[in-house]
Amino acid sequence: MSRKYRIVLAGNPNCGKTTIFNCLTGARQHVGNYPGVTVESKTGDFMLGEDEIELIDIPGVYSLSSSSPEEGVAFEELTKPGIDLIMNVIDSSIPQRSLYLSTQLAELHIPMLIVFNMSDEAKKKGLKFNIQKLQSYFGCSIVQTVGSRGDGIDKLKSALAESLLHLEDHDVPKLTYGADVDDAIHELEAWIEPAMTDRIRHIPARFFAIKLLEKDTCVMRLPEFQGLDAIIDAQITHLYARHAITAETFMADCRYAMISGACRDAISFTQERRREISDKIDAVVTNQWIGLPLFFAVMYLMFWFTFTCAAPMTAGIEWLFAWIQGLIERFWSPDVQPVLRSLLIDGVIHGVGGVVVFLPNILFLFLAIAFLEDTGYMARAAFVMDGIMRKFDLQGKSFVPLVLGFGCNVPAIMATRSIESERDRRTTILVLPLMSCGARLPIYVLLVPAFFAVKYQAFIMFLIYAIGVAFAMLAARLLKSTLFKGEGEVYLMELPPYRVPTAKSILLHMWDRGVMYLKKAGTIILGVSVLLFIANNFPEKKTFDADYGAQIMAVSSDSNLSAEEQSAAFKHIENQKRAEVAEYTVSGRVGKFLEPAFRPIGFDWRVTTAAISALAAKEIFVSQLGILYAEGEVSEDAPEDEQEPLRRQLRRAYTPLQGFCMMLFCLLSIPCLATLAIIRKELNSWKWMFFEAAGLFVLAYVTTFIVYQLGMLLRIGTNYLP
Amino acid sequence: MNDDNSPSAKAGASSCTVLDQGETTLADLPVGEIGVVVSMKPSLRGRKKFADVGIVPGTRLQMEAHAPFGGLLRIKVMESSLSIHRDDAANIIIRRQDRP
Repeated sequence: MSRKYRIVLAGNPNCGKTTIFNCLTGARQHVGNYPGVTVESKTGDFMLGEDEIELIDIPGVYSLSSSSPEEGVAFEELTKPGIDLIMNVIDSSIPQRSLYLSTQLAELHIPMLIVFNMSDEAKKKGLKFNIQKLQSYFGCSIVQTVGSRGDGIDKLKSALAESLLHLEDHDVPKLTYGADVDDAIHELEAWIEPAMTDRIRHIPARFFAIKLLEKDTCVMRLPEFQGLDAIIDAQITHLYARHAITAETFMADCRYAMISGACRDAISFTQERRREISDKIDAVVTNQWIGLPLFFAVMYLMFWFTFTCAAPMTAGIEWLFAWIQGLIERFWSPDVQPVLRSLLIDGVIHGVGGVVVFLPNILFLFLAIAFLEDTGYMARAAFVMDGIMRKFDLQGKSFVPLVLGFGCNVPAIMATRSIESERDRRTTILVLPLMSCGARLPIYVLLVPAFFAVKYQAFIMFLIYAIGVAFAMLAARLLKSTLFKGEGEVYLMELPPYRVPTAKSILLHMWDRGVMYLKKAGTIILGVSVLLFIANNFPEKKTFDADYGAQIMAVSSDSNLSAEEQSAAFKHIENQKRAEVAEYTVSGRVGKFLEPAFRPIGFDWRVTTAAISALAAKEIFVSQLGILYAEGEVSEDAPEDEQEPLRRQLRRAYTPLQGFCMMLFCLLSIPCLATLAIIRKELNSWKWMFFEAAGLFVLAYVTTFIVYQLGMLLRIGTNYLP
Repeated sequence: MNDDNSPSAKAGASSCTVLDQGETTLADLPVGEIGVVVSMKPSLRGRKKFADVGIVPGTRLQMEAHAPFGGLLRIKVMESSLSIHRDDAANIIIRRQDRP
């Protein structure tokens, strides 16, 4: 008969829970080699024989308490009723530390299955386990696996099936913490038992007794246990007098003593080879003197890789879109359904194509980030950068999310959950949109070559990113010294051993990101492009202010003009007419209405509409310019580079100073709606979201204003390029 | 690297008076040296967090590295590498051990 089971995956950070989760459910959750990749619970289903299993992957924790957001999530998930089994994944190459959590999970008296993951690394270290002994110790089955290779997963499944058969009569572990501690636990249990309500009756009183003895804030706060303070304090004072240790660390001490007893019994070293290679690499990478220069070299390489390696693929995509456009133009005569034809070419192909072109950059950027994550370098980067980050009142842990922000702000903001200090976390979230994300990259890739000579292009690109980082640091400092004032929290971060990343994991991550980007191009960007096309072309102007026909007649009949002068005059008239048409449309009207406000920062109505529509997604800025300037574009240009005709038009319309101001504004201004939504969710406040949007807009406007006005004053980049 | 030595020097100076013979703070343990945790000063913040990762009396620690620009230390605890802040390390009292 088929049944439904609910299983929770619990374990330390970076012990490979998500890898096991993916192995069992066939899901493709992102894994990385640094602590805190999983920041919220994820659920997956799989069939085990006839049975349906709901597997819940919770954030990694060292302890079952509530001193960080992740621990809070894990604690809440594990103390919910209805869990049939806990699958406790441990990194068996560091058994002592990993089993610490197991001793706490065991006290929940929920059937458990322990997974000794990374057993290849344990073997390399020369660790030998007496599985039999350990099993009787924790009162549950133990399975050895190598999650990254999928070894032992079949054994795990059969052990799981076996455990599920014996849920009703599972063993209860008999953990002892020393005679006097056990007495204290027992005594407290007697007081707790009558205080328990139905809400928490599925958890053993013994579990609460232990938590109260170590003064766990989360359990202390439960209304059921109010009034027990005196009894708890009496027990603690009693124990404290005998052991001369404080309450918070007393149980930790007992647990580690218990584990080291168990380890002496059941774990033996066959040879001493501890993290040799990893330690040797770290001797260089985290070196006080070499660490930082090496880090900057790695960052430089990452960006170099992103831009250089993507170039041939970018050219391929450009060619493809040009080819499609050519095909449509050849087989779809301009006389048949001209509006639809124009929508397809100017709206869809220029709008979506202009964005899809950057897919290779995105892919390579995420490839580089995934590589750094999976090897374990990111944790080292946080370590070497901590000193500098502290100068700006941030800390090393803020660093990984900030680097992830170069890829996409949304997952980066979620990654801030590994920062325990709420003030640091809030500060990091609020400054994160200043890290120039992958979606802003297309804007620079379009504008930089349009306005700057080849030899300055790399520098300008670097400058833009650096300005973002500099503002983020300054903003962090400002926030920490005003709104988020206060003493910092304790810093503690584990540096995982270096691992050779599996090609599968890295490629999957890159693939998922690529698919996500294309989905965005196919949905939001396509939709907005079509809307913008409509806004850019309608309502149509039928009657004109000036009689252009008469003007053309006048010019053509003027025999004093040379042929060249005539064609120049025609062009002038044509442009005037086109401008009148454009200004009559919805975007023209909105842009014209707002233009006075944006003129001081160098924007005309076209750029203004592009900057506004970029709220939906930053790439839209490029699409909108593409659509606006595609009108009337004579397509007899050889399609050497899809962006080139647009760049030429931009050069004609704007000065390099204006071009730079556009990039500056896009960099600093309000992030895309998806980012705003995640900020609201993570800070759990509309107020902060609006504060963020308003603050960034003001910052962008003021900065761009100063740069533009100063540039105009000093006449830097104010001449149109040929 | 201007102030690399000053925080630990300060911490060392202020704690000298209470330390027994042969005891020092974790912040003063030179790179590569090994020590055993003796106790935590009452001023240590987040003691539970440190206890949870195995920094309890009797645990052997090895100083692995100092981060650039002061701040962090990298310490080997129970086979894993942890980074903690120097200010916190100055509140952990250890006894130095000779290397095996």
